[in-house]
Amino acid sequence: MRHRTILEYRKYRYLKLAVAVVIVSILAFAFYSSPVGRYGGTVTGYALGTVGALLILWLMWFGIRKRRYRGSSGNIQGWLSGHVYLGTSLIVVATLHAGFQVGWNVHTLAYVLMMLVIFSGFYGLYAYMRVPELMTENLGEDTLDSIILKIADIDREARRLAVGMADNINQVVQESIEGTRIGGGALAQMRGSNKHCPTARAVTTIQASVRQFKGDEARSNKDLYALMLRKQKLVERARADVRYKAILDFWLYIHVPLSLALLAALTAHIISVFFYW
Amino acid sequence: MKVLLITQTRNKKGQPARTEQPLVTDVLLVGRGTDCKLYLPDPRVALHHAQIRHGSDGSNYIEPDAGTIIVDGNINRAGKLRPEERVQIGPYELVVQPDQPGYDLVLTVELIEPLLEGEEEVRSKVKAGLQSTWLSKRVFSWTAGILILLAFLAWPVISALDREKEPETANPMSFATAPKADVTPDASWDVGPLASAHASFGRTCSKCHQQPFVQVKNEACEDCHKAIGWHFPLKTAAAQAVHKEVFPETRCVSCHRDHKGPNGMVRTDASLCTDCHKDLKTRHPKTMTPDISDFSKDHPEFMLSMVQPGVSSEGAIVRVPQKDKALAKENSSLKFPHDIHMSAKGIRGPDGKVKMECANCHTKDEAGLRFKPVTMKEHCQSCHSLEFEPKVTSRQVPHGNVADVVTTLNEFYAQAALADTPIDVVVEAGIRRPGERMSETKRQAALTWATGKADKIAHDLFEDRVCFVCHQITPVAAVAAADGKEATPASWKMAPIAITQHWLPKSRFPHSQHSTFECGKCHQVTGSKTSADIAIPDIKSCRDCHGGNEPMRDKARGTCETCHGFHTGSHKAGVPAIIPGMNQPKPLLKQVTADLPAAGAKK
Repeated sequence: MRHRTILEYRKYRYLKLAVAVVIVSILAFAFYSSPVGRYGGTVTGYALGTVGALLILWLMWFGIRKRRYRGSSGNIQGWLSGHVYLGTSLIVVATLHAGFQVGWNVHTLAYVLMMLVIFSGFYGLYAYMRVPELMTENLGEDTLDSIILKIADIDREARRLAVGMADNINQVVQESIEGTRIGGGALAQMRGSNKHCPTARAVTTIQASVRQFKGDEARSNKDLYALMLRKQKLVERARADVRYKAILDFWLYIHVPLSLALLAALTAHIISVFFYW
Repeated sequence: MKVLLITQTRNKKGQPARTEQPLVTDVLLVGRGTDCKLYLPDPRVALHHAQIRHGSDGSNYIEPDAGTIIVDGNINRAGKLRPEERVQIGPYELVVQPDQPGYDLVLTVELIEPLLEGEEEVRSKVKAGLQSTWLSKRVFSWTAGILILLAFLAWPVISALDREKEPETANPMSFATAPKADVTPDASWDVGPLASAHASFGRTCSKCHQQPFVQVKNEACEDCHKAIGWHFPLKTAAAQAVHKEVFPETRCVSCHRDHKGPNGMVRTDASLCTDCHKDLKTRHPKTMTPDISDFSKDHPEFMLSMVQPGVSSEGAIVRVPQKDKALAKENSSLKFPHDIHMSAKGIRGPDGKVKMECANCHTKDEAGLRFKPVTMKEHCQSCHSLEFEPKVTSRQVPHGNVADVVTTLNEFYAQAALADTPIDVVVEAGIRRPGERMSETKRQAALTWATGKADKIAHDLFEDRVCFVCHQITPVAAVAAADGKEATPASWKMAPIAITQHWLPKSRFPHSQHSTFECGKCHQVTGSKTSADIAIPDIKSCRDCHGGNEPMRDKARGTCETCHGFHTGSHKAGVPAIIPGMNQPKPLLKQVTADLPAAGAKK
């Protein structure tokens, strides 16, 4: 059976719901115009605003719901599917609520934050659809753990060989073992590569000194080269894996705080319009 | 040199175990090279790291080779090794032991920093997952949320409540409560620019938003807009009841929403009127007003508001369907044939023939809406002179009052007779020499003559020659006959003048905006033989150029508010509607009776 994505959940149940919300909103906007124009302060405007605010609260509830493994209200795929589709419908609901009016005020701030949250969500959705595939492609049969074990084996063998080699060779091997970092800070994780990787340096150094040695030493050097080369490939894959995980995570560091910012701006928006009703 | 190497290792509990190894060599090479006697098999040690020699003075000397040595904390200090001294080579520590017989040097060697090996080592270099970095959803979320709540909610609310405490000044148009700063914290709540009239108190939000969480009340508007009229007069209890019935929940802000730009507060959409007027009878069955949905479709024929002379002391306004040719006749009691005055051949004037134009008599008022009243003095008298004595053309009778005319005539002729003014008619009283005093008899005769002459001339003016030309005058004899009394002199009855100044007072028509057209396009007067003709254009003329609510090809829009206002109810019916922003015509009846404007007629 083909893998069903959250977008196809229960035969596009939430897509249908979202389309219904959008159509009803557009009809309400088109056919119930008020004498004083189309904006948030009319009957239609209040209705669209209420729907929009409730949608935002429900969408934010997903952040709490997804941590509750024993939720009684539907499964997490259903919630996510609804989260995506109804979140998208909010673009239409909120734009019509605003009557296409913008300004330098808290109302438009809330609108802009909402759009940022939605579009960061789109990126997240794209990441969830695309990145796991890339991760599988990258890791193959391996896991990050198994790659680490393989690197450890290579290190042990390399160290053994290098001890008997010239200082400069031993030095670069030692640096590769001690200095090769996978991941690290947020930027390093996101970048997924390291311009000054000691393992890469070891590979070039060993390759460059191939003519220095003869006999047993030459053979050891050759073995060492092969080991470092294998290690380099493993390190690259490990870094790619860390990068993919960071990509899967990073958008949430925008999506979630912006959602909370939106909740605050929405609160200010609602209170302010009724404060000066 | 003879050396005793004591290699020290420790078990898991940290207890030391020693193995001793004596050896003889010239120079004690230290390194991970297999040729080194002090063999330190660790990658952190150089192949040939250092060497120790036995000097001829019996002391031992150490010097670094390819590696770095630390002797008692000093880096790369070459020199004498004394007992108890500690030398660090990579992860190893060498300690010089006290001399033992038979040996030049006794050294303990211990690996004090073992290599992290294998998986553990690799893992210590892996740092995956953004949660292990400085990034924190929780910190970001709380920071952003709290900052926004402070900046856009707490600060504006506190500042707004704070400003409310400031004392209000007595004068509603004084905006002393306006905050000093042009931009207040609640500026971030402002949904849009204010109407131009309200921009002056812009940031004093409480001027309109008087109570938090309460909708703007009508009283807030009426604080300033005191004289605004209702939609229809609310003088009677019945009218008030109807108002309540048809405007049950209507507030000022139902139509007038601010924050929509400089001109955003005034509704100009047709639905302002047609929402009710398209089926007014269902809302208010007793209404006399017909249902109207669109000027181009079902607007009824115009009703003319005419001054009806003699109905009451003030006169009265009657509403007459324009279509009704029998009723739609002006009864101004003036005689004025437009055809003669506007004749293409011209008309005789004091300086020869002139071709008259509309503007000779009809001049626009200052606002360019309608026309100033036509007056005898300004518009008629240059041709229709009120001269009475052909020999004295400088004198004219006053215009406006029968008694004044008669008095003027009496005075003129009495003066002429008594003062012996040499005009030929005075001869009848006899000729006096200069300085001769008039006898009483002669004086009486002169006055009798003068009175008779004045009466004759008055009859001539009123009934035959001058006043009669324009006015409807009942002759003295007829007045007397009607009263059943003897005829008294100077008792002509002049019909009261009733000129309608505004035929369509429920609409506004700015003539200046229509000045691209000839007057005759709408007002056909060249064939009019009598002043009873009304030259007000009918609805068809308007529809020639104006469409309805929806745009029409080659036509200007004709929405309700193109001609009508909403707040008209504060004014008496029949008195021209005062349109906001346009000039305010005087009540017309008062004007008619006060000025008695007259129009001239053909001599």
